Formats: sequence, structure tokens, C-alpha cells
Amino acid sequence: MTDKRNALIRTVDLKKNFNDLEVLKGISETVYQGEVVCIIGPSGGGKSTFLRCLNMLEEPTSGEVYFDDEKLDPKSTDIDRHRQKIGMVFQQFNVFPHLTVLQNITLAPTLEKKIPEEEAKQTAMKLLKQVGLEDKANEYPRKLSGGQKQRLAIVRAMAMEPEVMLFDEPTSALDPEMVKGVLEVIKDLAESGMTCVIVTHEMGFAKEVADRIIFIDEGVVAEEGNPEELFNHPKNPRTAEFLSQVL
Amino acid sequence: MGPSILDVLTEYWPLFLKGALGTLKYAAIAVAGGTLLGTLVALMRLSGNRILSTIATVYADVLRGTPLLVQMYIAYFFLPLVIPALNNVEKEVTVLIALALNSGAYVSEIIRGGINSVDAGQNEAARSLGLSATHTMTKIILPQALKNILPSLANEYISMIKETSMAGTFMLYELMYTRTILANKYLSWQPLFIIAGIYLIMTLVLTNLVKLLEKRFSVSD
Ligand SMILES: Nc1ncnc2c1ncn2[C@@H]1O[C@H](COP(=O)(O)OP(=O)(O)OP(=O)(O)O)[C@@H](O)[C@H]1O
Ligand SMILES: [Mg+2]
Repeated sequence: MTDKRNALIRTVDLKKNFNDLEVLKGISETVYQGEVVCIIGPSGGGKSTFLRCLNMLEEPTSGEVYFDDEKLDPKSTDIDRHRQKIGMVFQQFNVFPHLTVLQNITLAPTLEKKIPEEEAKQTAMKLLKQVGLEDKANEYPRKLSGGQKQRLAIVRAMAMEPEVMLFDEPTSALDPEMVKGVLEVIKDLAESGMTCVIVTHEMGFAKEVADRIIFIDEGVVAEEGNPEELFNHPKNPRTAEFLSQVL
Repeated sequence: MGPSILDVLTEYWPLFLKGALGTLKYAAIAVAGGTLLGTLVALMRLSGNRILSTIATVYADVLRGTPLLVQMYIAYFFLPLVIPALNNVEKEVTVLIALALNSGAYVSEIIRGGINSVDAGQNEAARSLGLSATHTMTKIILPQALKNILPSLANEYISMIKETSMAGTFMLYELMYTRTILANKYLSWQPLFIIAGIYLIMTLVLTNLVKLLEKRFSVSD
């Protein structure tokens, strides 16, 4: 069935070293259009590094990354243009504290896509409404809770109309009572057909939204499969061990 | 002992006033020039370009590692030899160039520190939205760095007020130069206390002004 679907991101033998430390030891993966992929695995396994290689926040040591069948080359690819097609949400939110909620969202579209201010504002308000933040539009982020900041970060990325959204542990820095709201926003997004790659420690959530789970351990994909299979009948003892610790 | 400090002040206050204004002016010119230069040097250091960053590092190290007075002498006597155009302008220009070059070295450190103090996540978030490196710097990093940079710049201006006292050596009319004028009238010690007092008032007033502004800044945070 895989050949029928449209591959959006493809990595081929992707490797990444930090000095002597081999973090990614050759990852070949494909993310298809509309697919929701959750990446799980122990700390330090390379999940974040893998995600960051996809939008070139990290430059791979070797191997290839293709986006829309176009090979990314740190020297010739228009990196800014590439990143505009990929939304990224970080564990630490990274909202811009010196800009209002509304400005956080409109900045990139107006600057880099030359969307008229008014139009960008309208889009932003629509997005804010979707995540229940419309009454915060003119506040500064310091007035927001962690969960609200993360929802802002998500719609800020959405405003660029990306083809795929990357999430790196979007709820790990949140107080427990904030987690649900943020996961719901991501779930809505996933169900709307947005391609998503989500690094998460929320196994229940992964089981619920993912089309496919990738288990990354010590720089390799140790196992992957649909959630049902992987969670209930892990084939790799490492997967079983990891799941027994987190479930 | 000669006349008292008060006598000297009453008779010659216009000279001291002119000197104090000269000091404030030269310090302002030096720090303004230093800020332009320092911003450039800081961006060169952070550019990631090996050559640019080496030039900037050497510049900052040399100017911070040698005495300002030596730099002023070099600017005064040597610069006009290699830049003939400087022969046609007032001599004070070469001294001001030295002050600005010196200030630029310190300001570059202030700006570099301010930029580095902004959380790395801000840069990553901006770049991952597809913002260009330039827009990321001008719209995201610098506005946040400014909060740390401005108070330090004000402090640099305060130090520069004291540093400019050396410019009197080169006949620039700043506060310390009034000593030279009045020494010709056989007033050896009285002007020194007046001068010290004026420096103290200027720096104290400005230091407290900066503190006040810093408090304002942190409230709005
Ligand atoms: N910029 C860097 N420089 C040096 N080492 C790094 C860098 N980034 C990551 N590493 C190292 O690479 C390894 C993998 O890190 P990574 O953040 O990808 O793991 P992870 O699977 O996301 O872990 P976690 O669940 O804790 O977030 C770790 O040992 C980390 O210390
Ligand atoms: Mg991580």
C-alpha cells in the first residue's frame, strides 16, 4: 500500500555525530502525506536530533533527507523557504516574549510570505479562536499559562500553512492539568489531515492518534509498526523493556 | 596656599561649565561612534565567518588590552601620517577617533553579551518558522537583547565621561583641560578639587538615572 501514498519526507541512511558522539546511526524512514507518526524511545536516543535534521536545524553528518522528493542540500537548498513548509513546536514553547500573541502569529507570514497585515491578522484571529485564545490576542505571552503558550506556538506555526508539523515533546514542560488541552489541539490537527511527526512520552496519546509508531533507541529505529501491534506485541526486547518502564 | 576653592569657583565657573559640557559632548560622540562600531564588530564576531570573527576578536582584544592614553597618542601622531586627509581637519578629530575606537571594543562585548543572553530557543523558533537570519536578528534577537544592552551602554557612557579626561592632554576643551588653563594663573590645587567634584556629580547623577531606568524596565517585564 505504501507505494500508492505520496511520500512527503524521506530520509536515507541519515547519520548525525556530535564530535565523537554518534547520535543517529543510519535512519531510513518515510513519512507520507497525511500520516501521523509518533516517535517514542528512551532519553538520549536521538529523537530530537532526528526531528531537527528534517528542518535542517541540525545538519546531517551523512545520508540524505528528501522533502517532496527534493533532496535537501545545506549549500544549495533555500533553507528559509524549506522551513516555511515545516512547522515545528518545541518542548519549551519558545514564544516571542516581546511580541503580543497576535504579533507572534503574524510576524512570519507578513515578513516572509508578504501576506498583507490585515489578512494575516484575520487568519491569526481565526486560528486563535480554534484554540480558545481569541481573548488573549493583544496580551503579551507572560500573561499566558504554559498550556496557552504552547497552543500559541502551535497556531504560530500553523499560520505559515506548513505541509507538515513536527512536535518535539510538546507537553513535557507542562503542568499535568495543562496537558490535555494541548493534546486535544494536536489531535484536532492530526484528524484534519495535517501530516504530523510527534515525539512524545504520552503513550496513551500516541496510541490514539498515531497511524504508525517509530521506536528510536540508541540512534537507530529499533522497531516500528501500527500502534496496536507495537504496544501490544512488541517484537524487539528493547521495545518491550522500554514500554514496561513507561506504561 | 593661595585663594580658596570657593573663590576659584566663583571667579572661574564659566570655564568649568564649558569644560563639563565639553566632557559630556566628547563622551557622547565617543559612545555614539563606539555603538555603531561595536554593533558591527559584535555581528562580525557572531557571523560564523572565520575571517570576520578573527578580525573582530583581535580588534576587541587589542583595544581593551592597551591603555587608552597610548591609543590616543598613536591616533594623534600616527594616524595623520597614514591617512593624509586627517591633516586637513581639526586635531580633535583624531583624538575622538581614538575614543570611539576604544569605546567600540567595549561596546562590542556589551552587545555580544546581550545577544548571547537571549535564549537559544528564540533563534530556533524563529528560524524554524522560516524567518531569514537577518529578520531573526532584527525582529527577534536584538529587541530582546536591547533590554540587557541599554543599561550597560549607559554605564559605558559613564566610564567614558571619566576616560575623556585624557583628551585634555591633546588640548581638547573638556573638564580636565580647565586645569591646564588655570595652572597658568598659578592655581595648582583648587581646580583639581572642583574638577573632581564635577566628575563625581555627573557620574553619580547618571548612575542613579540608569538604576531608575533599569527598575522601570524590570517592572514592564
Ligand atoms: N548540540 C549538541 N551537541 C552535543 N551533543 C548533543 C547535541 N544535541 C544532542 N546531543 C546529544 O545527542 C544525544 C541524543 O540527543 P537527543 O536530544 O536527540 O535525544 P532525545 O531522544 O531527544 O532525548 P530526550 O528524550 O531526552 O529528549 C544525547 O546524548 C545528547 O546529549
Ligand atoms: Mg528530545
